Amino acid sequence: MNVVLAIGWRILNIIITLLGVSVIIFVVLRLLPGNAVSASMGVSEGLLSHAQIVALNQYYGIGQPAIEQYFSWLHAIVTGNLGVSLSLRSSVSHLVGADLPVTLELAFFAMIMGVTIGVGFGMWSALHPGKWQDGVGQAVSVVGLAIPTFVLGTVLVVYMSSKLHYFPSSNTFVGFFTNPWLNFQQIIFPAFVLSLGIGAAILRTTRGAVLEVSSLNFARTALGKGVSRRAFIWRHLFLNSLTSVLTMSGIQLGYLLGGTVIIEQIFVLPGMGSLLITGIKNQDYPLVQSVTLVFAAGFVIVNMFVDLLYPVIDPRTRKR
Amino acid sequence: MSVSDVSAVGAPVAAEDVVGHRGWFGALWRSRNGRIGVVIVIVVVVAGLLGIWGVTPYSPDTQDPGAVLQGISWSHLMGTDQFGRDVFSGTLQGLGVSLEIAFLSVVIAGVIGTIGGIIAGFLGKWTSAAIMRVTDMMFAIPTVLFALAIVTALGPGIVDSSIAIGVGWIPIFVRVVRSPVLALRESDFVRAGRVLGFSRPRLLWRHILPNVAGVIAVQTSLALAWAILAEAGLSFLGLGPPPPTQSLGDMVNNSSSLASVAWWTLVGPSLVIVIAVIGFNFLGDGLRDASDPRTRTR
Repeated sequence: MNVVLAIGWRILNIIITLLGVSVIIFVVLRLLPGNAVSASMGVSEGLLSHAQIVALNQYYGIGQPAIEQYFSWLHAIVTGNLGVSLSLRSSVSHLVGADLPVTLELAFFAMIMGVTIGVGFGMWSALHPGKWQDGVGQAVSVVGLAIPTFVLGTVLVVYMSSKLHYFPSSNTFVGFFTNPWLNFQQIIFPAFVLSLGIGAAILRTTRGAVLEVSSLNFARTALGKGVSRRAFIWRHLFLNSLTSVLTMSGIQLGYLLGGTVIIEQIFVLPGMGSLLITGIKNQDYPLVQSVTLVFAAGFVIVNMFVDLLYPVIDPRTRKR
Repeated sequence: MSVSDVSAVGAPVAAEDVVGHRGWFGALWRSRNGRIGVVIVIVVVVAGLLGIWGVTPYSPDTQDPGAVLQGISWSHLMGTDQFGRDVFSGTLQGLGVSLEIAFLSVVIAGVIGTIGGIIAGFLGKWTSAAIMRVTDMMFAIPTVLFALAIVTALGPGIVDSSIAIGVGWIPIFVRVVRSPVLALRESDFVRAGRVLGFSRPRLLWRHILPNVAGVIAVQTSLALAWAILAEAGLSFLGLGPPPPTQSLGDMVNNSSSLASVAWWTLVGPSLVIVIAVIGFNFLGDGLRDASDPRTRTR
C-alpha cells in the first residue's frame, strides 16, 4: 500500500514536472517569431498563393495565438499523436515510434559500458590511493571528460573505414530482431564513444565516495575485526558508495541523451537525435518540441526509478 | 572583507580563513590541480586572444595552392588543409571564437543562476519553492537538447549560440549557489547584520555574496569547460555561427572527410579543444581545493 502510494505520488510529480517542461520548451521555441510554413515549404513558398499560405497556416495551427497553440500541442500530447511534423508530413508519434528503439538501444549499451568503466576504474583507483593505479584512473577521468564525443567518434569512423576497411554503419541500419549480429556491430562503437564521457564522471564520483567511506570509523572497525578483503571491498565500501554512484549515473543520463544527437549523426543511426536534427534544420517546431519532450520524459522517468532504488540499496533511507 | 569580519561565521569560515592568509591565488597555487589549471588556462586564453586579434603566423583564410595538404613542419605547426590554409592559424582563430562564445554563455548562466540561487536561498519559502520547481523542470531537459531547441528558435550566431548554451546551465548555478546561501542565512554574522538593521541588498551584496564567491568561481570554471564542449558540439552539427566565422567544432567537422589522408587537419583543432577543457576542469578542481581545506592536494 505504502509502495503504491509512493509510486503514485512520484508519477504525479513526473506529470507536473513534464507539464512545466512542456511550457518551457514551448516558450523557448516561440521566443522568436519564425514562420514555420515558409521554412518548411522552402523554395516552393513563392509558388504558393496567399490563400494557400493562409490555409496551410490554419491547418498547422500557426495563425492561432500562442496560448491556443500550446493547448493544441498539449491536446496532441495527451491523445498520443504528439502533433504533426511540418517537414516530414507525418504524425510525430509515428516518427518517434520508429526511431526511439535505436536511441534506447544506444543509450542502454552506453550506460552499461559507462557504469562498468566508471565503477571499475573508480574502485581500482580508490583502493590504491596515490599509487600508479590511482594515476591511471585519474588520467582516464581527465581525458574522458575532455574528449568531445564527436572527436572520438570521427577518429573512430575515419580509422575504421580507411585503415581497417571495417565500417558496419555504412550498411543501412538494421533492427535487433532482423539481424542481431550486424545490429550489435552497428550499435557497439557509438555506444562505446558515448560511454567514455559518462564513465569518466561516474569514475570521479565512485573514487570520491569510496575514499570517503574508507575513511569512516566503521570501515576501520571492519578491517580491525578481520573482515576478508573481498567482503570489505564489496560489502563495506562498494555498497556504501552505491547511492552516490547511482545519483551520478542518473544525472549523467542527461549528458548521454544529449550526446546521442551528435553520435547518431556521425554513425548515421536513424534515432531520435537524427530526427531532432531534421526538425531543427527545417525549423519544424512541432517535431522539435515533441522530440525534446520525449527526451526529457526519458530523463525524468529514469531518475524516478533511481529514487525508488535508494531504499532498496540503503536501508537507512527507508522511511519508517 | 577583512579577516576579523569573517572569523565570526561558522563552517564556511575555516575555508575563508585559510585563504585569507595568503590570498586566494596563493591557496590556488598551492593545490597541484590549481597550478596545472592556471598554466593551461593562461596559455589557452592568450592563444585565443591572438586568434581574436588576428595575430597568427598566416592569415587563416589565405589559400596557398603551392602548399596543399602539407604535414606538420616548422613553417606549418599543424600542417595545411586541402586549400593550403595553415591549420595552426585557423585553429587560433577558431579557439578565439569558441572562447568568446564560452565566456559569454557562462556570464549569462552565472549572473542569472547566481541571482536565482541567492534569492531562492535567502527569500521566503514560496519564492524559494517556485524557483526550485522551475529549476527542476529546466534540469529535466538535457542541456545539449536545451541548447539545440534554443538554436532552432534563435538561429545561428555568436550571441545566439551563447544564449543557447548559457540558458541550459542556469539551473546548475541556481542549485550550487542556493545550498550555501541557505546555511549562511542562519549564520551568526548574517543574523547580527539583520539585528543591526542592515538593508537586505547590503546583507546580500556584502555578506552573502562574498561567502559564496568560492562556490561560484568553481562552478564558473567547470561551466567554461562544458561550454567549450557544447559550443564545439553545436558547430560540429552545423548549428554554430555561420561562415566565415569558424569555431573549433566546424574545423573538426570539415576535416573529418579529409582525415584519412591528412590526419593533422583533424588532430590540430581536436587537441586544442581537449587541452582547453582539461585546463578549465583542472582550474575548477584547484579552486575547489583552495576553498575547501578538506580536499586539498599538495
